[in-house]
Amino acid sequence: MKVEFMHRPGNTAAKVLLEDGEACTAESGAMIAMSGNVDVTTTTHKKNSGSLLKALKRMVAGESLFLNHFEPRGQSGEVWFGSSLAGDMMEYDLEDESLIVQGGSFVACEQQVEMDLGWQGFKSVLSGESVFWLHMKGSGKVILNSFGAIYPVEVDGEYIVDTGHIVAFNETLDFTITKAGKSWLHSFLGGEGLVCKFHGKGTVWCQSHNPSSFGWAMSGALKPRSA
Amino acid sequence: MTEPTYQIELTGDITEYADRAKVLESFGKLFKLEQEKVEQTFAKAPVIIKKGVTETEATQYKSALQKIGAVARVIPPDTVVESANENAGNMAEVEGDESPTQRHSPVKETLSTPVPVAASEPVEGGAAESNSMVSEVLEEQRGFKFNIEGRPDYAFLTVNIPAGETLKVEASAMATMDTHLVMKTKMKGGLGRLLTSESIFINEFTAENGAADIGIAPGAPGDLGHVYLDGDTIYLQNSAFVAADMRVNVETKWQGLTKGFFSGESLFLIRCSGEGDLWFNTYGAMIELDVDGDYVVDTGNIVAFTEGLDYKITKVSGYKSLFFSGEGFVCRFSGKGRVWMQTRGVQAFTSWVYPFRPVKKSN
Repeated sequence: MKVEFMHRPGNTAAKVLLEDGEACTAESGAMIAMSGNVDVTTTTHKKNSGSLLKALKRMVAGESLFLNHFEPRGQSGEVWFGSSLAGDMMEYDLEDESLIVQGGSFVACEQQVEMDLGWQGFKSVLSGESVFWLHMKGSGKVILNSFGAIYPVEVDGEYIVDTGHIVAFNETLDFTITKAGKSWLHSFLGGEGLVCKFHGKGTVWCQSHNPSSFGWAMSGALKPRSA
Repeated sequence: MTEPTYQIELTGDITEYADRAKVLESFGKLFKLEQEKVEQTFAKAPVIIKKGVTETEATQYKSALQKIGAVARVIPPDTVVESANENAGNMAEVEGDESPTQRHSPVKETLSTPVPVAASEPVEGGAAESNSMVSEVLEEQRGFKFNIEGRPDYAFLTVNIPAGETLKVEASAMATMDTHLVMKTKMKGGLGRLLTSESIFINEFTAENGAADIGIAPGAPGDLGHVYLDGDTIYLQNSAFVAADMRVNVETKWQGLTKGFFSGESLFLIRCSGEGDLWFNTYGAMIELDVDGDYVVDTGNIVAFTEGLDYKITKVSGYKSLFFSGEGFVCRFSGKGRVWMQTRGVQAFTSWVYPFRPVKKSN
């Protein structure tokens, strides 16, 4: 699987070249275009692994319940992926390791990468924003997207990131959800709410903008919907 | 900026049957260089003349150079030739001289302030600018003079309308214009256009007393595409039309129930035929694709396609895919032609926004 990013960083699209026999799994709705010989199967789980339960868990993570599998027939094929929000994308090569990805940032991965929902306990329920994380395990390529620019932060020791700005992080990092300020009142008045405090050594990939801040900024100007 | 960048190397060779002096002269014109500098450049060849361009831009450069008779080579990323790299430094200076000349055009000067320029890195901006330069050079011979700035995120079009000529512009897309342009609002395409959910009106701008500039900003942030129609036909998705020559026929075309209704997009396409310039816009960046055989595109991402292509609206695979794949309907193109796509879709964005809508209070 070869990945090429076009039109970075504002309106990124990923062009994925699949050789015959290769396959990739993507978030539903991410496909822009593909060669005519690519077969698509829609399932609730990763092929040959997982169950409906996993899919349900994924839905809770803010991802779609369904995944699409792309597999070229007979010869190589290409698939283009895009995202609904403006922003950048990144590629990460897993080498028998784990990456924890924020629910909405997943775009696609190679078929052999194992995907599961990580339950981080009640501490992450409190974080309010994307409570759930996808666990990408094994070896292979993973494509992630961000809202705005994407930047890596090497953590060695402790580091604090706002929960809405996290794209992904190495599993070697441990984290706790905490308040940004000294007191709860100040943290909420300061608009920071909850933040993620990382411990250990590893990389955190952050996005320059917080999707839900953007959403709520527009909220007042939108037509009300019926509940 | 880790997008794979290509380099263009001038081999210094001249294509067969071409006259060296002529080639050098047109090379100078193309890059707005003095003959002396051109001589130096060719003497130094092989030399990298452009760095950090995308694949499509690179091929554009190559064909532009080919046209004037100079042989160029596109160097894909990762194959960095060391000696060539040295020259690149020298050439970068030459380029530095060259890029301001582009800004000498009055159009750019007057418009540089109100244009929303993307806050991209200088490398990117440079590449995008020269890209529009190449397309300009390629199309200079025929049609209107125009300039696209702010690519690819916030493209803005400036067209120079010669005296007495008229340009069709999508209603409300005009952002700036010279005072002696006269605007007329016309209903084009009859009732059909009323139904496309696109604004019904196309404005006609006529330069009455001498040439005039008009700045056109499409509604959605994104890129702009340009084609020069030469008797051929292009279909546009219903909100993609930006501007066209008067000789271009703009009409709406009923797609038929199965093709239109089920696509979830629109029942109509805009059919542009005739001869002259045509500009269209995308939401997000633009992907240009030459189709030969079979290609599938999500209906929400189609911007335009050439007439030779046959298209069929289908589901992406089985019935399950229709409801659950998130792709809904896709368009399966077959035959030979070109398709323009956008990286983002309006519907995808609106459905993302949906949860943020306030909930109506029941009272």
